[in-house]
Amino acid sequence: MTRVLGWLAALALLAGLGMAFAVAPREATQGTVQRIMYVHVPSVWVAYCAFVVVFVASIAYLATRAEAADRLAHASAEVGVLFTGLTIATGSIWGKPTWGTWWTWDARLTSVAVLFVMYVGYLLLRGMIDEGERAARYAAVLGVVAALNIPLVHFSVLWWRTLHQPPSLMKPGPSSMPPVIVRALLVNFAAFALLYLYFVAKRIRLLRLEGEAGA
Amino acid sequence: MGDNWGFVLAAYALAAIVLTGYWRHLVRRERELNAPVAGHPPGAPGAPPRQQ
Amino acid sequence: MIFARRAWSVVWKDLLVERRSKETLNALAFFSLLLLFVFQFALGPDRERLAAALPGLLWLGFVLAGLLGLGRTFVLERENDCWEGLILAPGDKSAIYVGKLAANVTLMLVVEGLILLLFAVFFNVDLAPALTGLALVMILGTVGLAAVGTLFAAMTAQVRARELLFPVLLLPVQVPVLLGEPLGAVGHWLGLLAAADVIYIVTGLLTFDFLLES
Repeated sequence: MTRVLGWLAALALLAGLGMAFAVAPREATQGTVQRIMYVHVPSVWVAYCAFVVVFVASIAYLATRAEAADRLAHASAEVGVLFTGLTIATGSIWGKPTWGTWWTWDARLTSVAVLFVMYVGYLLLRGMIDEGERAARYAAVLGVVAALNIPLVHFSVLWWRTLHQPPSLMKPGPSSMPPVIVRALLVNFAAFALLYLYFVAKRIRLLRLEGEAGA
Repeated sequence: MGDNWGFVLAAYALAAIVLTGYWRHLVRRERELNAPVAGHPPGAPGAPPRQQ
Repeated sequence: MIFARRAWSVVWKDLLVERRSKETLNALAFFSLLLLFVFQFALGPDRERLAAALPGLLWLGFVLAGLLGLGRTFVLERENDCWEGLILAPGDKSAIYVGKLAANVTLMLVVEGLILLLFAVFFNVDLAPALTGLALVMILGTVGLAAVGTLFAAMTAQVRARELLFPVLLLPVQVPVLLGEPLGAVGHWLGLLAAADVIYIVTGLLTFDFLLES
């Protein structure tokens, strides 16, 4: 089952690449560099989905104490951090030629950076508690707090930036997107989502094996 | 603005490396965890000795 | 109400211990004074640059003092082997959370008031015109910081490297408060801070019990 998922993900990724380079048009103002969007944006969408899953799984764990919920939260957080890091890195690479700088404290980059740090902290907490049950419980509480914080961070950062900079300096990209670009984005999003599911499934299996081996 | 193909390739290459790297890490860990069942007891401290 | 009585007894105990030993308060007061030196040295002799940076430095001082003070929330219980006592306490453990929160907010407001005073004196700042707005933002921001800080202090109390993990966990979650405090004058920021406070406190009340299970 997991292997099917893996193959599906691989195929979808290839389709996504095709859409990004062959089908999607060359964007007028930015040129080819804009194609980074097809890996940067789906990556951040998947990351947010991953952390929503962490939120739900954390609540489920606190309510039911089912180990499966804990494993799901842990795996989803790890893969979420992976995709968040990828978002930041690709965003930075995109920013260098377009904005002239590797980093800028604009609303979106800052929010994603805070997101990254929050969930790295989540993984650190898990790593630092040896007793499995307590780690699961504490991580679940943190998972809930972190997720509830996401909208607060989003708005505070947004207002913080618009107070100091005109909105035109926000993330580059076409403001109203022609359908072919939207389609390319969605295909890549589906591909990344499948990859996320595949990674989470494998990670959960690893967690179960680690639990049984007493590792 | 120029074409900046280098950056595009860099971004996609980075994504490919990171995602493949994570995948290989998962696969390798799974292999490690599945192997000891064959007869080499895991060296985990506190693991009870196998009763044959 | 038993809940209120329990919460009050925790507040009373903590404040009484603090009033007797003044351990935390003294250390934080001295720390605040040192911060003044650090800020002055870091920003150099340029008076205008320092004056422009003052609001941010003020809140930075609050946050740093808060990190130190909040991290110690459960240190007494831990050092005196009272942690099990907390776990075994019957009934609703969130009363302990409320008590600790109230004690923390009180302590932090005292320290922040001190920092404010030091700033006014040493950096020659005229606080009078902005005082009510400042007080409101200080209270809202401090409650937010303490609400999550108390929760995370319980979480990291028994963890290895707790002094490292506590700030690492708290700072990202506090970004809304960190951003909101210096800009608090603007209307909708107060709304954001207030909303954040409500969310943090409610979450703390709901989840604290899970941290103190045996």
